[in-house]
Amino acid sequence: MKKSAVITAVSVVAIVPMALLAISINENKAEQQNINAVPQIKKFESRSSEWGKYYQRQYDSYKQTKKSDKIDDMLIKNPALVVMWAGYGFSKDYNAPRGHFYMLEDNVNTLRTGGPVDAITGPMPTACWTCKSPDVPRLIDKIGELDYFTGKWARHGSEIANPVGCADCHNNETMKLTITRDFLNRALDAEGSLKAADATHQDMRSLVCAQCHAEYYFKKTEWTDKNGEKQTAGVVTFPWSNGFSVEAMEKYYDDINFVDWTHKVSKTPMLKAQHPGYELYKTGAHGLNNVACADCHMPYVREGGVKYSSHNVGSPLDHMANTCLNCHSEDEKTLKDTVARKLERKTELTKTAMDVIARAHLEAGKAWELGATEAEMKEILQDIRHAQWRWDYAIASHGSFFHAPEETLRVLGSAINKGQDARVKLRAVLAKYNAGNYAAPDFSTKEKAQEIIGLPYEKLVEEKMTFLNGLRKEWIEEQKQKELYDPQTQEGMKFNTSYAPAQ
Amino acid sequence: METKNMLKSVSILSVLAAVGMFTYVVHASNMFSYLSEDPKVCINCHTMNTQYATWQHSSHRGRATCVECHLPKESLIDKIFAKSRDGFKHSYAMTFRTYETHNIRASESAQKRIQANCIACHKEIVSQITAYSKLYQTKEESGQMAQKCWGCHRDVPHGTTRSLTTTPDNLGVKEI
Repeated sequence: MKKSAVITAVSVVAIVPMALLAISINENKAEQQNINAVPQIKKFESRSSEWGKYYQRQYDSYKQTKKSDKIDDMLIKNPALVVMWAGYGFSKDYNAPRGHFYMLEDNVNTLRTGGPVDAITGPMPTACWTCKSPDVPRLIDKIGELDYFTGKWARHGSEIANPVGCADCHNNETMKLTITRDFLNRALDAEGSLKAADATHQDMRSLVCAQCHAEYYFKKTEWTDKNGEKQTAGVVTFPWSNGFSVEAMEKYYDDINFVDWTHKVSKTPMLKAQHPGYELYKTGAHGLNNVACADCHMPYVREGGVKYSSHNVGSPLDHMANTCLNCHSEDEKTLKDTVARKLERKTELTKTAMDVIARAHLEAGKAWELGATEAEMKEILQDIRHAQWRWDYAIASHGSFFHAPEETLRVLGSAINKGQDARVKLRAVLAKYNAGNYAAPDFSTKEKAQEIIGLPYEKLVEEKMTFLNGLRKEWIEEQKQKELYDPQTQEGMKFNTSYAPAQ
Repeated sequence: METKNMLKSVSILSVLAAVGMFTYVVHASNMFSYLSEDPKVCINCHTMNTQYATWQHSSHRGRATCVECHLPKESLIDKIFAKSRDGFKHSYAMTFRTYETHNIRASESAQKRIQANCIACHKEIVSQITAYSKLYQTKEESGQMAQKCWGCHRDVPHGTTRSLTTTPDNLGVKEI
């Protein structure tokens, strides 16, 4: 009996700590699972605040892009632009870009997107949303790429609710960088020097940016919808198959006779360069050394003991200690002065180019007015087309003067040359029609220039305001019902535009 | 007689229960994994995630595993004894939550072992510096060099900041 009692007692004494240990192990396992759990973010979650719950520092730094809020009216700064873009949206309204936080807001507010009154009115196609929002890959997944790229901009107004954000670059399960716009994959494969499938992580740190910071056009593509009806989509396409250079893309467009618009004054079949940022960066010192966009624009920063990649994408010159000085041993001032000098050089040439090209347009307009023939004008218009395309290619990505200073200046040089070629030929035509001493009218202010090209500015603003107070508000209500609307995207947002500046 | 039989049954049952519990604990704690030298075993519990991550990103990752620095190398008996004692202490700390800070530090006996292991691998350079610099000639009672290696090499191998909050994205096993 005694023996049994002892055995029982010993067993119980052994069981108690083992039970405690077992309980503790299970608790710890649960905790471990909790800590290691992959954040639950649903596929195509377009609301960045949902990602921000798990990646607070990244999200918070992303929101800091709202500090880049200045409206800088480029048409006031360079009235020649109004003449150069006559008949095209950019002559209505064109500002220097603001922070990522404002992307969608500025797209909705710009006079370029006009004042649609329903889903089928307005000047722009659906493609104009493509780079503005993580709702785009979500929508493409839902309705298909060709359907997405069909119709007017206003058609997707109630679906596109969030400015560029987490889901544009990250996989929702692994957070790995990922290309969410298939047209970049297609373009990389067509260009061939870096196939999409071969991209390393370091390549991806630039390629996610290249999804939008690149030259593109809307390729007309026929397709049949599910009702058997023929539709035409305008699919965002990068003209890369001949290469990245200005000549390669020019050839691409010439070969397919692509025309963005016909110039209102000179009747030139024009090309609008968008922002070949990636293409130009590849030719510069940083690009050649495979320094990624993120290395300078999203540098690692410290917060207490934690190191993370800042998502406050902006000028690296704002915090050089974390960017330039990681590699360069000069002091901040020397580097800043060097960059400033690069900008001055570009500004000098771009001002010359704009003046030359704007005058060429006006002089060509005069020649038409005097009765010049198509045959007389053909070569001249080709020169103007190429001149403006080259100038635009060189400067449309705002950082080109720094990313690729040599290439930028070379291209600007060729733009001026082409523009002057056109003007020399124009002089002969004008002389033939007894206007050899014709001088283009004064376009030294935005208002004068818009008057010359006959732009109904007041009407455009009025239509825009009607749209903003009407259809836009309906869109937001619909977005709320669809649970796409994220109030955090509007926190601290002020209505601020070139036509109605914030008070 | 009946009471005796009942007590006997109870004792048998309790032994069976103890054996059953032991088996369960062996299973739940992944006990046999502790016989291995794989560093991944050290993050069976999440407490060591930071130490694992910092080591994994250090120059030592290809040279020395956790146990090669933290356990005695000379004798197998010492090693097993140290491993069991540390294991017991860790289980106790985890069970009774006595470690609640996010900064775990090596105990004094662990420090001695680590120091010995530093010297064992780097003995050539250590013999040079002890021969030529008085700074390293002071000895502790145990005979070990009093100057700790990490007094200067503070970031070897776990980095200068090594708390759970400093490696927020480095939890669990990640192959690099």
